[in-house]
Amino acid sequence: MKIRNESDFWSGVMFIAFGLFFAVFATRYDFGTAQRMGPAYFPTVLGGLLALVGVLVALSGLGRAGKGGKVEKFHFAELAWVLGAVVLYAVILRWAGVLVSMFALVVISSFASHEFRWNQAIILSIVMAVITYVVFIMGLKLTIPVLPAFLENQI
Amino acid sequence: MELLSNLAIGFDTALTLQNLFYAFAGCLIGTLIGVLPGIGPVATLAMLLPTTYALEPTSALIMLAGIYYGAQYGGSTTAILVNLPGESSSVVTCLDGYQMARQGRAGAALGTAAIGSFIAGTFATVLIAAFASPLTELAFKFGPAEYFSLMVLGLIGAVVLALGSLVKAIGMIVLGLLLGLVGTDVNSGVARFSLDIPELTDGIGFVAVAMGVFGFAEIIANVEKKGHREVLTSKVGSVMPNVKEMKDAAPAVVRGTLLGSILGILPGGGALLAAFAAYAVEKKLAGPNADPPFGNGNIRGVAGPESANNSGAQTSFIPMLTLGIPSNAVMALMIGAMTIHNIQPGPQVMTSNPTLFWGLIASMWIGNLMLVILNLPLIGLWIQLLKVPYRLLYPAVLGFCCIGVYSINNTTFDVYMTVVFGALGYLFYKLRCEPAPLILGFILGPMMEENLRRAMLLSRGDPTTFVTRPLSLGLLLAALALLVIVTLPAVKSKRQEAFQEAA
Repeated sequence: MKIRNESDFWSGVMFIAFGLFFAVFATRYDFGTAQRMGPAYFPTVLGGLLALVGVLVALSGLGRAGKGGKVEKFHFAELAWVLGAVVLYAVILRWAGVLVSMFALVVISSFASHEFRWNQAIILSIVMAVITYVVFIMGLKLTIPVLPAFLENQI
Repeated sequence: MELLSNLAIGFDTALTLQNLFYAFAGCLIGTLIGVLPGIGPVATLAMLLPTTYALEPTSALIMLAGIYYGAQYGGSTTAILVNLPGESSSVVTCLDGYQMARQGRAGAALGTAAIGSFIAGTFATVLIAAFASPLTELAFKFGPAEYFSLMVLGLIGAVVLALGSLVKAIGMIVLGLLLGLVGTDVNSGVARFSLDIPELTDGIGFVAVAMGVFGFAEIIANVEKKGHREVLTSKVGSVMPNVKEMKDAAPAVVRGTLLGSILGILPGGGALLAAFAAYAVEKKLAGPNADPPFGNGNIRGVAGPESANNSGAQTSFIPMLTLGIPSNAVMALMIGAMTIHNIQPGPQVMTSNPTLFWGLIASMWIGNLMLVILNLPLIGLWIQLLKVPYRLLYPAVLGFCCIGVYSINNTTFDVYMTVVFGALGYLFYKLRCEPAPLILGFILGPMMEENLRRAMLLSRGDPTTFVTRPLSLGLLLAALALLVIVTLPAVKSKRQEAFQEAA
């Protein structure tokens, strides 16, 4: 067996995995009857359907050589910088406040770009922190912790 | 004249200073974000949704509709000036619009797009106002079986229109339906698939899915590309088309408007299908001896699709407003916004919230007018924005997204969910799975289950209820017909051709 169309094959595998997860996970809920459907009924049917679709897609990936079926390289570094920066933002938001978190988010996510420049990233972070304060805190009055917790308590 | 009195209610609502302001703000911000390359209307709406929470429902929806038109128009601007479609429905605008820009006629292309869009928008608004009442009457005849069948039709429609593989699109829809089921089951109170995470018992946040899959994933995908983009900004020229161009463009605008209006109403339809079809029609009608040839800067290739995508975008509001069924990802977002404001979408909105309903419709026309007033003089500003390098844009976009997601429920959990869906969206991108059907499925999941359950309860477990009720049967037959048509060899190769031409 040779994988002719990589993106189809792996999409199929992904669908099968999701379908099985939902179908198997649903077994712990009540299935019910066609007249009175339990919480497991619809998810089980859909999960089975998704797995079936997955098998079809995966098989088509084995069968025919579609154009551009190759899966492009995953850029994990870019992924990690962008999503990592967001995770960090969420982790420190509660005690560091939105201004500091925003600063960190912008600087760190900037690393993902292949044209990264320190001075621009810093300036942009400061601008974003100011915009956050003026637009979201003063303007839209969102309830987000603004300053770091230890400073907030002293005021 | 009921239509006129309804429209009067609408304009009364939409013309208040406050709502005019929000329509204006929506168009402005929508264009601002939509102009940024790689950020389409869905991502823009998802990103800006939280800014409307504090508003009253009518103003919020008016502003969101404005954001949608703005983003849509912004996408066309990028298509013409940078050859980068802001979203899929302006893909065909790139073909001739960018060529016009290279020949120094960027201004005329932008002007034609704006004027064509306005004419199309005006026509579509009247159409919505005329169709709303009768369709709502029809909707009241719908039982759970009909609703279920209608959703099947809508989902099949979405499959047919997804780019690329049909089976993959079906997979994405089913996955979306399943993700929509996560959370507490309304009938039994069981927290399904919550993995013992208390926040998940309320279900996965809609904004988290949309922003992750459309916003974050797109950012990562854009950042990894190393190419340099060429912005044609030096010679935009006058925004008024010359006499020959006007003569060529006028009939194309009319045809695009009509075609777009019809295709927009279809389930699964909307701006995308409308634009593709209009381009194909213009190219066919012009024949091989078109001057200049299509693909070399023919203004009809801009006027037709641009009018069509605007009227299609607008008439796709019809099924959403009258039946409460979204026909595409953008309408799914609008439904999400309505539920956040505690408005249950469906036929009862027109009677229970007439000012909201007609106000929104009236504001569509006002929004379209504002786009013309706003965009033509401000073209210079949008061009400046296009010059901002991407390395400065995406961290800012990311920042706004994070504040927005957090402020929905004031919890960081939603931010983490967005990260999860960002990673998942990146995987979809790499595997060439279109994410739009997933969003549609996600919104429809709980609605479909609920109607399926009710229909089966009413029929005492007899599944033939879906084919014995005439309306339901008709809808299912239409869905079947769509599937059969699209798998016909002749149509199949045409469909691939159409999408390939664009890609």
